[in-house]
Amino acid sequence: STHLEPELQLRDYEESMRRWANFQSKTHALSLSLTSQLRLILTPSQSTKLSGSYRTGKRLNIKRIIPYIASSYKRDKIWMRRAIPTKRSYQILLCVDDSKSMGESSSGELALESLVMVSRALTMLEVGEIGVLGFGTNVFTAHEFSEPFASHDAGAKVLQRFAFQQDYTNIRFLVRQTIERFRLARQQSTSRGSEDLWQLALILSDGLTPSSEHEDIQVLLREAMEERIMIVFIIMDDMTQKKEQSVLKLKKVKFLSNDEIKTEYYLDTFPFQYYLVVHNLEDLPGALAGLLRTWFAEVNT
Amino acid sequence: MDTPMGQPAVAAPQEVRVNFTTSSPDLQLPEDSSSLIVVPTDLKRYGLSRILNSSSMLNTSSPIPFDFLINGEFLRTSLQEYLETHGKNAEETLTVQYVRSLIPPVHQASF
Ligand SMILES: [Mg+2]
Repeated sequence: STHLEPELQLRDYEESMRRWANFQSKTHALSLSLTSQLRLILTPSQSTKLSGSYRTGKRLNIKRIIPYIASSYKRDKIWMRRAIPTKRSYQILLCVDDSKSMGESSSGELALESLVMVSRALTMLEVGEIGVLGFGTNVFTAHEFSEPFASHDAGAKVLQRFAFQQDYTNIRFLVRQTIERFRLARQQSTSRGSEDLWQLALILSDGLTPSSEHEDIQVLLREAMEERIMIVFIIMDDMTQKKEQSVLKLKKVKFLSNDEIKTEYYLDTFPFQYYLVVHNLEDLPGALAGLLRTWFAEVNT
Repeated sequence: MDTPMGQPAVAAPQEVRVNFTTSSPDLQLPEDSSSLIVVPTDLKRYGLSRILNSSSMLNTSSPIPFDFLINGEFLRTSLQEYLETHGKNAEETLTVQYVRSLIPPVHQASF
């Protein structure tokens, strides 16, 4: 790695291998479901754009009309057609929250299961490169884009890095690092120039970050959007142990200028535009596919 | 500011999740108000009391002074100092028990 990263205590390799295999068989059906849903969204078979110049077609190309008349109706390729879609390739970064709050609830376990399920689905799709980051007080690389992700060995090495012991959750720093790593990865991308490179980050976290940072995060998210980096926040909200501790019910104290105290829902000021709240692993494939479908529809219009 | 590639600048945690509980039946929070709440860590007893008395919590007509116990120990410092002296941090949810303060109430005019 080119980044300065602290040495972390790695978990036992054999144990991580068993956990990976275990998660994989547990989530296999869901991975398949996610794969088939994502195939439709990530690899479009039809372009939405009309272009080109043809003798027949769907819509007139206005720019061709004057030359058409000037040429005494000889240059008659005045129509546009739906173009064959450019092949898309993806760089997908899975970012897993390694902070202590994840271990306090069972959200950490849910995040790792989700990581296995999503990474397997993406590997089966073969749409591009997959990277994994961990974050807490700082950000570390658990899997490089350039490395293949198709083996149990690669998976076990990722799981070895997560212990949910970090004392702070710095999501602002994660977003900044995500942008920087995507910039670098775009330069180093192995995809052909003719291919259309899309960059997508999925953050798996309980969503708890100091609300004083929410504004800074919004600024960074706008920066990411300008560079066509999409960041989706998947809030892991396992309620099997503590129903009343759902992030949906979590409130935040607000001190008003007139010395009054109000409370508001924590998620009301959540800075991420694209986020999901996932209580069970079974909800994730449908919810994630739905959100990505919405996003692609928005960027294609 | 963060360093460009390596370590983030370490910011002090400024908020912690608090789970308010009480053993007094007359002081229970209403059903619709959440007992789990994010509060600034610089708060001490007085600030926590104000939150509990506020309209979105107990909505008391006249403020009740409270004392707070965390793990059976009265809170005498800010939450931040409590976390530091007990080797905890803001990643953990603090269960905070509230009781009517034993400090004699201030005189209140009768109606
Ligand atoms: Mg955390």
